Amino acid sequence: MSEPAATIILDSEAVNALTDVGHRKHRALLAYLEGAAQRRARNPSRRVLVPVAVRIEAGWDRTDPKAAIVNRVSGARDVPLSGEAANRAEQLRAATGVSVVDATVGQAAEAAAKPVVILSSDIDDMRKLAQRLHGEVRIERV
Amino acid sequence: MTFDAGEVARALDQLDASGESVVTSVRVPDGLRHAATVLQRAGLISSWNELVVQGARDRVEAIAHRAGLDAHYADHPEVRPNVAQVALALARMDTSDLAERPELIEQAAAELTAVRPDATADDVLTYATALKAHQAAA
Repeated sequence: MSEPAATIILDSEAVNALTDVGHRKHRALLAYLEGAAQRRARNPSRRVLVPVAVRIEAGWDRTDPKAAIVNRVSGARDVPLSGEAANRAEQLRAATGVSVVDATVGQAAEAAAKPVVILSSDIDDMRKLAQRLHGEVRIERV
Repeated sequence: MTFDAGEVARALDQLDASGESVVTSVRVPDGLRHAATVLQRAGLISSWNELVVQGARDRVEAIAHRAGLDAHYADHPEVRPNVAQVALALARMDTSDLAERPELIEQAAAELTAVRPDATADDVLTYATALKAHQAAA
């Protein structure tokens, strides 16, 4: 068994599933976040992150009443996109051909405390990214 | 217990900007302050203020996450994952061999929660690890 994840990163599909209580993956996603919350209770330095580009793609406006569910169940901290982070995301996008949003997920994973787990439905692209990143980054299909 | 999780998240996001701060008075035990000073002198932490703010932020986020999930389960009890499902999710994220043995995790959850209804998912994984070792030895 590997070391437990220090960081969990959400991609757009994970956010979509968490936003809608009727989504077929909603309960499955909650299992991951419940586990994360249980571990955070013992070690609050463990984190759940969401890159801001993912929020835009998934239509997650924290001020929108429709976001009430994902706001409260995700426990996610925003990862802002600075100029430096944009440079790194572009390098990853150019090297792998992934989407802009996925490239920001890769950049966020690289900058986060390791090990990182990315909860994603886009396994192939995320694996391409993970191979380019420094540190242990795991991809979990949701 | 209700609160606006979005408001909590938005307030915490302000910490990343060079926003306003307030000076507040907190009673800190001498020993804790002294230990932090020793670590700061050794270069292991940058400042007492950063230590306190980051530690408080992590704790606030963890509490808000727990409370947010509990509120969601109260509104939608049908979506609450059981402890075996949570343990399996953790096993997958941990790349544990137990991720390939969901039936063992189910057994561990059933046996453990029969005597400890408040068992966590990590408790279940520990129990499942013992079951697996026992099966291998038998």
